[in-house]
Formats: sequence, structure tokens, C-alpha cells
Amino acid sequence: MSRPLSVLLVEDNPGDADLVIETLEQGKLKLDIAVAVDGAQALARLLRQPPFEAVVSPDLILLDLNLPKVTGREVLARIKQEPGLREIPVVVLTSSDAEHDIVRSYQLGANCYVTKPVGLVAFQTIVQAIEGFWFTVVKLP
Amino acid sequence: MSIDRSDDRYRSIVEAIPSAIVLVDRRRRIRLVNRKAEELFGYARDELLDAPVELLIPSRFHGEHPRHVAQFFAQPETRPMGAGRDLFGRRKGGEEVPIEIGLSPIDTDEGLCTLASIIDITERKSARERYEDELRRSNADLEQFAYVASHDLQEPLRMVANYTELLAQRYAGQLDDRADKYIHYASDGARRMQRLVADLLAYSRVGSQGKPLAPVAAGEVLAAVTHGLQRLLRESGGAVEAGPLPLVLADEVQLHQLLQNLVSNAIKFRSESAPLVRVEATREGPRWRFSVSDNGIGIDMQYAERVFQMFQRLHEQGRYDGSGIGLAIAKRIVERHGGTIRIDSEPGRGSVVSFTLSAARPEDAS
Repeated sequence: MSRPLSVLLVEDNPGDADLVIETLEQGKLKLDIAVAVDGAQALARLLRQPPFEAVVSPDLILLDLNLPKVTGREVLARIKQEPGLREIPVVVLTSSDAEHDIVRSYQLGANCYVTKPVGLVAFQTIVQAIEGFWFTVVKLP
Repeated sequence: MSIDRSDDRYRSIVEAIPSAIVLVDRRRRIRLVNRKAEELFGYARDELLDAPVELLIPSRFHGEHPRHVAQFFAQPETRPMGAGRDLFGRRKGGEEVPIEIGLSPIDTDEGLCTLASIIDITERKSARERYEDELRRSNADLEQFAYVASHDLQEPLRMVANYTELLAQRYAGQLDDRADKYIHYASDGARRMQRLVADLLAYSRVGSQGKPLAPVAAGEVLAAVTHGLQRLLRESGGAVEAGPLPLVLADEVQLHQLLQNLVSNAIKFRSESAPLVRVEATREGPRWRFSVSDNGIGIDMQYAERVFQMFQRLHEQGRYDGSGIGLAIAKRIVERHGGTIRIDSEPGRGSVVSFTLSAARPEDAS
């Protein structure tokens, strides 16, 4: 493999972002993790708008739904409409377990929907499971 | 008794009665009215006398009315009319008035008649509707409040819980004993608060996420509940026995939660002996009374009300798991179904929690 796998984490809560990053860093895979703190920044990165002209396209997107400015749902809809972006798997990682959020996310083309669990160990386990599934079990484009 | 129309004294009494009085014969013709009846229905006396009584009844009730009149004459006794139904009168202009009617049979020189004494309940009704609206709104507000509060509390709470736990994971044993204790208190407190918030959310969801009631086989729901509690039953050596359970009108998800809360409580609060839970139902008119009895530790009946309140626990923390929401949720579910719930118990002799639900087939009332 020529370059490390890269992950775009779209998360406005720095506490959650740090937990995800820490957990991913403890895994065996070498990952390149970028964080976008709101939906607008996430889209700018993905569409390589200034100042993100040089960033690499991620192999996996972890997307929170409740984001300032542009919401996670809008980011998701945009990604799934955009040639060149729509094949990137999007994992919705959110605190909402509301039925309508789940249904809507899949309708918009989310590749999977994960509710942030209560409890640190559960959270770490879930993040490891996401990493293991998307980077070792499945084949990515 | 007969009404002597020439008797001025009786006439003025009937005229002065503050209810509308309408006397109707077997052929459903109006024989007599008083002043209040003219006022209530907006007709002059001449227009009413000898007219069919259906003149005063909204047309949607005309079809069934002759049958009701025939029934009354077949079994003439003093009684309120239309028990449990909302009654309406029809005024001359066509508008409807909510009314209450008392019926009495009266022998007159023209044969057996029905004396209807009618009160306009518009005001009473609108006051009640106002209170009911207010109550509904205030309940909805409370539910919304509980939902938003618990939902929005979860996010910061998750931070506190996760990071105190991370602190424990990474640094426990590296600081002094006192620091370890502080970390333990902090993460234990956060965990308990998470539990409370989750329970509050579950409680508020009984109202906000309830589904319409439909016929549900209680026996199948109990089987599913028992299946879900397999592990707990195995670990405690317990068993659940069920009598024949009926079809009831319920929200299936909530009935499941109700039975699960009661059965798991019965197992949780077990005595020294293996828990034995028995679920039965007996018919009570249009309803079924379910009872969940156990051979557990029981409670003192002075706490019989308190156990159904939110977050009320009768035991010190740590002795039994849980925040004390189980019976509060059970009560709320039963009340949302229009039933009642109660506990009968004695310390050391087990408990019986019983609740009522509407039968799916009210016509087979025994």
C-alpha cells in the first residue's frame, strides 16, 4: 500500500474527537486522521476548496449528525450526490438513536449508522469495530 | 299519580322548575313542556305540543331513538338517559346543545308517558373541556421537557463519564489512593446519572412514543418477555408460570415493557428461595385484571403508594440494582391504557402487583 489509510472525522465535540483519535491511534493500522469541526469545513475539505486544495481524499468518513453551520445530514446528502465523493463510505456516528435520524441517514446514502454508546469501554469497542470492519474486512474502492 | 291540568298549583311548580321538562307519550308525541323547555330549545309552546319528540333531537340520532323509547316503555323506571353517552338536544335554529336527561315514567290520564327532565350542560362541559385541554397541554409540556432535558443532558454527561473513566483507565494506581477514590466517586456518580437520565427518557417516551391500542395476545407477549429474561431466570433458578392470558387492547411494545418490568422486579426482589413468578388474568366486566405474584421479599404496605413514584427506592444504594423507575413506568403505561395498578404485599410473604387492561372483545363480558 502506497500511503496510509486516511480518515476524515467530522465532529464538533473535541472530547468525542479526541476519544475517536486516541482509540484509532492505539489500533494496529497506521491511519492518517483529519478532523473537520463543522459541516462547512467538512465539505470544503472534501471538495478541495481553499485552503484545502492539497488534501488527500479520505478512504472513510466518520460523520456526526448534529453539527454547527452545515448539518451532518446536509453533508451526507452532498457527499452522496457528488461524483468522486459518493463512493467514499460514510459511517454516521452520532448520539441520536431517533428512528427518523436512522431512516433518513440510510435514505441519504449512509453506509452505516452507529449510535455513540454510553460508557467508555463500549465507545472504544465500537470505534475499534468500525476500524476493523472498514479497513480489514471489506474491500474499499 | 296523574297530572291534573286544571290544578294551578302543580302547573306553577312545573313552570318554575329550573330544568326543562318535556312529557312524551308512547307515540313519541310531546304532551307537555314548561317554560325552561321553551327557552332551552328555542320553540314556542304551541310549536312543541303534539309535535314528535324527534324535533328536539339531532337528526343523526333519529334512527336509534324509537328503539330507545320502546325499551323505556318496556321497562319503565326512573333512570338517567344514555348512561356513558354524550347527549345533545337540537334547538329550533339547528344548533346542538349538550344536555343531561333524567327519565321517569308517569301515569297520566292519557296513558303511560315519559317525563324527561333536561339540563343544559354547555357550561359545565366547556369548563371540563378547558381543564382537560389544559391538562393535556401541561402533560405534553412536561413530556417535552423531560425528553429534551434528558436528551440534551446525555451529551455533556457522556463527556464526564467517558473522561473520568479514561482517567481511571490510564492513571489508576499511578496517583495516590485518595486520587483513586476521587476518580471512583466521580465515575460512579456519572454512571448513576447516566442511568437516571436514560430512565427519565424512557419514562417520557411512554407518553410521547406510544402507539394506538390494538388487540394483542397477552400470552404471546409474556412468552417473549420470559424468553428475554432467560439469563436472569437461569442465574436465579427462577421460573415464570402463566395461566391462560387473554386478548387485550394494548400498545404491544408497552405491554411488553410493562410485563418485563413487573416480572424482572419479581425476580430481582427475591427472597432466599428461588423466585417463582405467576401471571394470571381474571375478567372484571369489560376489563381484565392481570396479576403478577411472587414469593419475594415483599414490602410493607405503608410504601404501597411510594413504590410507583419515580426514583423512589426502598433499599439502600447498591443492594439492588436500578434507579427505581420500573414501577413508575409500569404505572404510566397502565394509566395510558386507561387502567389502574396496585400492589398487595407483606414483608417476607411476596407481592402481588395487579393491573387492569381493556378486553379486546368487550362483548364476551362474563
